[in-house]
Amino acid sequence: MVIAKQIEIRNNIKKYFDVAYEGDVVVVPRKGNKNVVIISEEEYSRLNQNKRIVAYTDAFTKRGLSARSKNQANSLIDDNLEKLNMIENLKPGWNGHDAPDFGKELIEKVKRILLELYIQPEIFPTALQTIQLEFDNSRHDHMEIEIGASDTAEVFISLYNGGEEFESIPISSEEINHRVGAFYG
Amino acid sequence: MDNTFRIDEKLYRAIYPPEVVDMFWRKDGTISSAAFADPKGLSVDRGDYREDEVVVEDLKRRFVGRIISLYVKNCYDIGAVVRYLPSKNNMYHSEIHGSETVVLLSKPQRLYLARKARVIQE
Repeated sequence: MVIAKQIEIRNNIKKYFDVAYEGDVVVVPRKGNKNVVIISEEEYSRLNQNKRIVAYTDAFTKRGLSARSKNQANSLIDDNLEKLNMIENLKPGWNGHDAPDFGKELIEKVKRILLELYIQPEIFPTALQTIQLEFDNSRHDHMEIEIGASDTAEVFISLYNGGEEFESIPISSEEINHRVGAFYG
Repeated sequence: MDNTFRIDEKLYRAIYPPEVVDMFWRKDGTISSAAFADPKGLSVDRGDYREDEVVVEDLKRRFVGRIISLYVKNCYDIGAVVRYLPSKNNMYHSEIHGSETVVLLSKPQRLYLARKARVIQE
């Protein structure tokens, strides 16, 4: 953390902006404790995202789901578990092009995750012996989380403005809930 | 027919698995990008400028289920490659590859094609 007086900032504004851009925090003390903090846009986005995730998690864990939301969630999870059973029953070559079938271990792994997700995705099999979870938010962003035999899931986000994000995350309901929370936040 | 594809040529694909027709359809009626992931190359029939109905009749003799169509341009837009790979059973057989050197379509390529796909046979 860097502390600099207002006049010091005014006389060396580029220097202090660069300090903030590099990730440090610049605190500017002012009279009456009306202090100001300068941070980079990246740091601001990170803080903002954390704030959204906390708010999202609170909505589900502290206040609880409304009865209607609970019914909708139950219906969606039932649909997904039924579809997972269908996926489990697919035979080798199910895509007409030698796709392998899905092992019980993968099906169980996805089932455990689905049962603990705050928001149910739509699920789809792939010929890569993976299961794809799809989420769409109100901003028209689209997120896919691909789960296979490995310990990491591949996350792909297509943003409404054409941007794309890729990430590998450990496979756990906590990690996936965290990512989904950020996506809907 | 040769390995030349013009941008306005249509490509057709039967969506598997036929016994579970809705497997790849999303609740909003669109197709999932998961249907476009194939490490062995995404099989399609080239249209060769035939009428949709003619292609559908031909495909229905060999496949069950929904049939979608794309344009070659959709593939070129995202750097994908279309290869003409006729077989003894199907002179129209072709494949869409991610690039000249990678068979599997990337995630953004799969999503783009899923969004461009049009259902022509329910």
